[in-house]
Amino acid sequence: MLVYTLIRTLTQYFFVVLMAPLFAGIIANLKAKVESRKGPSIFQPYYDLFKYMRKQVLIPDGSGLIFKYAPFILFGIYSLIALIVPIVIPEPVFFTASADFLGGAILFSLAAFVKIAAAFDSRSNFTALGAVRALSFNFLSEATLITVFFAVSLITDTNNPYITNSFLATHYLQNISLEHIFATIAFFMLFLYETGKLPLESSGLAELGMIEEGMSYEYSGKLLSISKWSGYMKQYILGAIFLNVFFIPWGLQSSFPGFLLDIPVMFLKWLLLIVIVVVIETTFAKMRLFRIQDYLATSFTFSILFLIFSVVIA
Amino acid sequence: MIPVDYAIFLIAAFATISGFYIQGQEYIGSMVNGQLIQSSIIALISFVLAYYEHSLDLVILGVLIAFLRGFLITYFLDKRVPGRMTYVYETNVNVASLLLIDLAFIVVGIFIIYSLVFTRADLITKFGPSSILVFPLSLFFQGLFLIGSRRSTFSQIIGYIEEENSLVLFAIFLVPVPIIIEASVFLDVLALVVISSILVIEKFRHFPMEELRG
Amino acid sequence: MNLIPLIIIILPGLANIFYRVNIKLAGLVSASITVLLSLLLYLQLPLEGLFYVDRITWVFLVMVSSVYLLSTLYSWEYVSSIKNRGISQNNYYLLLNFFTSSMFFSLVMNNYGFMWVGIEATTISSALLLITEKSDVSLEATWRYIILVSAGVTFAFISIILIYYHFGTLNVYTILHSGGSASLVIKIAVSIALVGFGTKVGVFPVHTWLPDAHSEAPSPVSAMFSGVLLPVALYVLYRIYEISPFPQLYTWFAVISIAAASLFLAYQRKYKRMFAYSTMENMNLALFGFALGGVGVVGALLLLVSHSFGKAGAFYSSGNILKSSEKRDIAQINGIWKGMRYTSSSLLLSSLAVTGTPPFGTFVGEFLILYAAVSSHALLQFGIVLFFLMAAFINVNYNVTRMIFRGSGDLKEPGKIMPMVSLISSTIPLVIGVVIIGGFFNVLV
Repeated sequence: MLVYTLIRTLTQYFFVVLMAPLFAGIIANLKAKVESRKGPSIFQPYYDLFKYMRKQVLIPDGSGLIFKYAPFILFGIYSLIALIVPIVIPEPVFFTASADFLGGAILFSLAAFVKIAAAFDSRSNFTALGAVRALSFNFLSEATLITVFFAVSLITDTNNPYITNSFLATHYLQNISLEHIFATIAFFMLFLYETGKLPLESSGLAELGMIEEGMSYEYSGKLLSISKWSGYMKQYILGAIFLNVFFIPWGLQSSFPGFLLDIPVMFLKWLLLIVIVVVIETTFAKMRLFRIQDYLATSFTFSILFLIFSVVIA
Repeated sequence: MIPVDYAIFLIAAFATISGFYIQGQEYIGSMVNGQLIQSSIIALISFVLAYYEHSLDLVILGVLIAFLRGFLITYFLDKRVPGRMTYVYETNVNVASLLLIDLAFIVVGIFIIYSLVFTRADLITKFGPSSILVFPLSLFFQGLFLIGSRRSTFSQIIGYIEEENSLVLFAIFLVPVPIIIEASVFLDVLALVVISSILVIEKFRHFPMEELRG
Repeated sequence: MNLIPLIIIILPGLANIFYRVNIKLAGLVSASITVLLSLLLYLQLPLEGLFYVDRITWVFLVMVSSVYLLSTLYSWEYVSSIKNRGISQNNYYLLLNFFTSSMFFSLVMNNYGFMWVGIEATTISSALLLITEKSDVSLEATWRYIILVSAGVTFAFISIILIYYHFGTLNVYTILHSGGSASLVIKIAVSIALVGFGTKVGVFPVHTWLPDAHSEAPSPVSAMFSGVLLPVALYVLYRIYEISPFPQLYTWFAVISIAAASLFLAYQRKYKRMFAYSTMENMNLALFGFALGGVGVVGALLLLVSHSFGKAGAFYSSGNILKSSEKRDIAQINGIWKGMRYTSSSLLLSSLAVTGTPPFGTFVGEFLILYAAVSSHALLQFGIVLFFLMAAFINVNYNVTRMIFRGSGDLKEPGKIMPMVSLISSTIPLVIGVVIIGGFFNVLV
């Protein structure tokens, strides 16, 4: 039994760590195809990560310890979250018991805090700008993240993400209940914000509208590589939570050899999500910076209003 | 709950969402369209329930809503939206804070009116659980908040129509009042909108006035 | 089925057929006939069926028709001499007639739903009357009137729905004779009606449209508002209250509103606004009486009848002063006694009447209401009301006597009919009071 669990744990962990950059690559490639460009290879994120690994690390003058160690802490936090939530295998693995759904949400908040603290610690005005922006929007996004998980735990009477997943997969009608639908919408809006997708944030060189990207501007070499890698992991984890808990909770296997099927299943689910994301990214224009608050307020409204309705209704 | 209930709950929830949509708009044109969407949703609910309950009254009601609210009122309001740029939208609309205050207002309103009062009265709705009355009530408070939070005549008229819509929804869910009375209510509202749209030309925005204090 | 209420409803509307011929005269004729008909209706009481008219309704019918007659008469000179008109003279009479029709409609219908429709129709038909004297301020006041009152009255529709839900009918007669109901649903309905129809009556937190509309409307319309529109809304509120009396809530709302009105009165600088707050105070006193029941209802009816003529007289007199001076502030009006004998007597009489001075009819009404308060052991409410009534009495009469007697002014009467109408209107409460007190003494002796 222990061995099975160990294998499951390793599968889940390495799938997340190793495949996360691939999905980012697919998004970039597909987006370029839609814009009738040739686009980078889908393995480009891997090339980038290796390239940065070999480069020299430059530490800005006056930066502190947090700046130096933040990428590692972030990588660690996301690794832990990767084992807590059912993002590949719908069966508890090692470390799953370390936190529930709410704990996962708080770990996300912790990661955001560490990232912002590191950005301030670099003593660079440019990263501080990104950090200030992130702070002025995060008060709404973090609130949404937590209320969304509240909504889920209200439906299923538990905040164990694995039970939630299996409950939703077996109770079809619960998937069209009000709080679930609107929590799904709210979480998807949040997903777009947290992963820096287009209507909210466009990243790239000399881009003034960036929020998350701006905070890692001072990193170089190995630190940049790890920072980027944890960013890919964050995107994967959020996307997989969206898919497995909110959007399509079906199709995952937990029997022993059958669990290997989860890998292609997750891959297919992600392709669907990528198509949706690419459609959104190529159809919407970027919002003005201060519109982002309105956007997040809308998602917050969706999540909390129907949470309250469901409490009143019950 | 049976699947039809889920469907009705969902449609009713979209009526509330349309209230938020109207609240978040700066352009008057899109507020009028939001009103159109909301009325259509209510007409749709009326039709669905008419099918569900085999009631002719609800069919007539749905047609009345679709025609008077969806068509005539939208037509009157659309005709009055001035062409000049300065009047087409309302300035100083801070969507994020408006949405959040609106939310707080609804929550407080629902908790006071619904949780403390209505739940004790053991209301039995024509359809499904009585908790569906939460949606008309929340729509009502949204209408009130729209009137209170905006300064232009148009927005306030639309807030009033929203309130009226919420009452129609309330009546549909609880007990449809006699169709003749409902029809007179619709005509009243239509007349009121026509009267107020006369005022729109004369006075577009409303601010506190020294002469009308105290 | 009885034809008289039907004729009363449609007669003011019929006058509008003469829109192009002579709507002024037609309105006057129809007003006189409605007064006669509503007096005649007394012989056929009580009526039920399509219409529901009992003695209480009859009192309101007489009130509406007489103030309508007075206002039409007064408008004859007043409206024709307005310089910057927002609506044409014919449209003014057209709307005035519709406005009266809708008030009659809300009074006599034997159906709560139609009562609501009637109240909403009064808002629609009277809204544009407020911009007869067009200015930026009057437009703003009109808008506040429309949006606040209709938003409030809309809220009252919830209580109509709840009544229908509970009784399965909206027939007033059936519901009132079904022996009442102690159900919580009806309690909620009655409480919601207080806020909803209370907006139109001028109950405290939702009264804010009232002073604006009254001060900016042309005087005959202000008189109609104060004298009859608010009582009509109060009548509908009372009819709902009767289903299941809820005195604690109603009396306290009324007492708080009386206190608030009397406090607002204290710092008004414009005479029409001052009278508007006095209306709010009187309406809530009547609401207090209705809520107490028994003798309180009689007192409230007496108060309403005398007040409607007295307050109409006060607004007509204000109209005279406004016409000849074109100033709205109390401080700018001095010594009108010199040049305006009729107006100053009517102003003095009416201000004494609306503040409940003996021997005016309002005094008898207030006395009966306070008596009812004491006899139903509402002593705290009694004390508060008494204190604020006295405060209002001092405020109104101090300001009015200052306008009349202080210094010397050179204002002239603005016409012939207007001062006469004001004087007639403000004498009626005195006559009512004298007749009733005299009759009372006769009974005693």
